[in-house]
Amino acid sequence: MASITLDKITKTYPNDVTAVNGVSLDIRDGEFMIFLGPSGCGKSTTLRMIAGLEAISSGDLLIGGRRVNEVDPADRDIAIVFQNYALYPHMTVARNLAFGLRLRHVEASEIQSRITRVAALLGIEPLLSRKPSQLSGGQRQRVALGRALVREPQAFLLDEPLSNLDATLRASMRTELIKLHNSLGTTIVHVTHDQVEAMTMGERICIMRDGDIVQVGAPMEVYRNPADTFVASFLATPPMNLLPGRIESDGDGLAAVVETCRLPIPAAYREAYASHAGKPVIVGLRPEDFQAVAVGGGRTAPVALHTITTEVLGPEVILVANFASPGGPEVHIRMPRDFRAKTGETVTLHFDLPEIQVFDPGTTRVLARPFLP
Amino acid sequence: MSQPSTMEAADRRFGWFMSAPGLALLLAVILFPVFWALFTSVHEFTLIAPNFDTFTGIENYAAALGDPAFRHSLGLTAFFVGAVVLIEFAIGFLVALMLNGVERFKPIYYGILLCPLLMNPVIVGLIWRMFLHPSLGIVNYLLTVAGFEPVNWLGSTKMAIWTIIMVDIWHQVSFMIVLLLAGLSSLPKEPYEAARVDGASVFQSFFFITLPLMMPVIIVTLLIRMIFAVKTYDLIYIMTRGGPGVATDLVSYAIYRTAFVSLNIGEASAMSAILLAVILIFTGYLYRYMRTLT
Ligand SMILES: Nc1ncnc2c1ncn2[C@@H]1O[C@H](COP(=O)(O)OP(=O)(O)OP(=O)(O)O)[C@@H](O)[C@H]1O
Ligand SMILES: [Mg+2]
Repeated sequence: MASITLDKITKTYPNDVTAVNGVSLDIRDGEFMIFLGPSGCGKSTTLRMIAGLEAISSGDLLIGGRRVNEVDPADRDIAIVFQNYALYPHMTVARNLAFGLRLRHVEASEIQSRITRVAALLGIEPLLSRKPSQLSGGQRQRVALGRALVREPQAFLLDEPLSNLDATLRASMRTELIKLHNSLGTTIVHVTHDQVEAMTMGERICIMRDGDIVQVGAPMEVYRNPADTFVASFLATPPMNLLPGRIESDGDGLAAVVETCRLPIPAAYREAYASHAGKPVIVGLRPEDFQAVAVGGGRTAPVALHTITTEVLGPEVILVANFASPGGPEVHIRMPRDFRAKTGETVTLHFDLPEIQVFDPGTTRVLARPFLP
Repeated sequence: MSQPSTMEAADRRFGWFMSAPGLALLLAVILFPVFWALFTSVHEFTLIAPNFDTFTGIENYAAALGDPAFRHSLGLTAFFVGAVVLIEFAIGFLVALMLNGVERFKPIYYGILLCPLLMNPVIVGLIWRMFLHPSLGIVNYLLTVAGFEPVNWLGSTKMAIWTIIMVDIWHQVSFMIVLLLAGLSSLPKEPYEAARVDGASVFQSFFFITLPLMMPVIIVTLLIRMIFAVKTYDLIYIMTRGGPGVATDLVSYAIYRTAFVSLNIGEASAMSAILLAVILIFTGYLYRYMRTLT
């Protein structure tokens, strides 16, 4: 078990691409940490620096409190699942799994029992005698995962380890990894593009963009309090609706005005938003915070929506509509599965006001407000 | 179903039609001489009596194989081939491994390496004969300057074959380097990273990853080099004429002597056929091996 600490770590590739730009992050001992971010934001690079495969241009990397910038990957006692699997092409699956253990002089009987256990866990027993070239993409990925698991290292670095699996297998692997983490308590850093993986697996999510960490926090915290419009629009599908609007005085209170729609700001947020009164802002409304029925006490505000289309997904219906007026900005709204609306029809829904987020259009950062339960 | 097959047949006919002139030429300059030589090898055909009047069957073959000089040539050739191929492989692999890690000036190294390979063996022989001249050559001059005894490179029966081996290595080692380097640089990078994380040292990576992955390239390179080494002739002709005595009398040169010094074309043809059979075995093995790779 080990904590992993990144202190102002920068990676500049020889071609002057700065892939990671002064990143600081504390991954606690035994934590399940998710790296989430768009393609090319430096997730793999960060992971490879932790593994020791990429030299760190500046900054310090500590594993278990020990500075390991110059320590050989072999001596860091971490296992990595590569984005491109990196299996040994000339070895059978069994030998791929055994290789790291043999090099570490683990007893043959112990190797055998670990391989059997991991192969059963990943459902790759029938493949043990095959070569990687005789496997499908998803099978290779499971072998790559297995090669990391048999090692029983201090920390796992998983670079999109489930990306190539079908939906069912991915769901079960997700559960297996969570169970595994619960039973072993090993530190895991898990890179993913997948919203569901990000929300369900990790204890904390680290969201990256262009080589920077934008926000780190527990999944629900990041979801409910995105640090800026990037996080807001990146996490969850459909993402938060970001609408250009203004903060205006509304009697002795404030209101967020988008098009012709006035959303009264809850009294608890007034202080936080007061400085932006009379200024343009970006108003963030989560698709799931709209409901068909008004709640009393001014908790909700009615919103007119001009239906463009509805996407019937099964468990839910996504309403795509123009906000407030027929020419208003397009929004996505998540409705229960029996919701129906015709194209062109105007629907009035009620927005749950305490869930409103307001962003500064200049910096794109959120205007920090208290957290209402 | 019938449509594509008639189209295929038409394609095949067109293919034959287009390659017919080339094939005819090959037939005339390669297949015809080969069959002529095989035909000659079963007749008593000498340059004194150049006719096919006397059919002798396997007599020429028996004579060749019964001749201690020819058996010596066969043994010497086997030794020569073994030595040059193994030493060239060892040096070649080492240099290729070193060059594989080099990024800067790669084209320059390649250029230097390819120089000897581009030279005609006759030129190589002439250059080295001058370098190695016992009294006028630069090699012995440098040796004496450095305080060593001059060496009788080509005149001593013990030394001559090793001298030929060394010159051949100088000439051909780049072939190994270039082929092995091409093989090394086409190896995937990812398994090495996986191995580093798995805890492999540089040597373990070499033995457990590089060697097994390189095996096909190594075998093909060795076989091709063997096939060419068996046929070595030019160097011998220029540098030693098989001498001193029969110390460097490789098979190809022995065949030449039998044909154009002893004027016994029939027996020389039989010797050639034996050499051809040996080369065919190597080639057949090479061909089969290459087919298992794809
Ligand atoms: N070896 C390299 N040399 C130069 N630039 C590189 C190298 N590897 C990655 N980069 C660049 O560094 C940046 C970050 O790459 P990285 O692979 O870390 O992204 P990522 O977040 O893992 O993306 P993805 O989700 O697509 O895997 C990219 O702009 C990429 O082009
Ligand atoms: Mg990546």
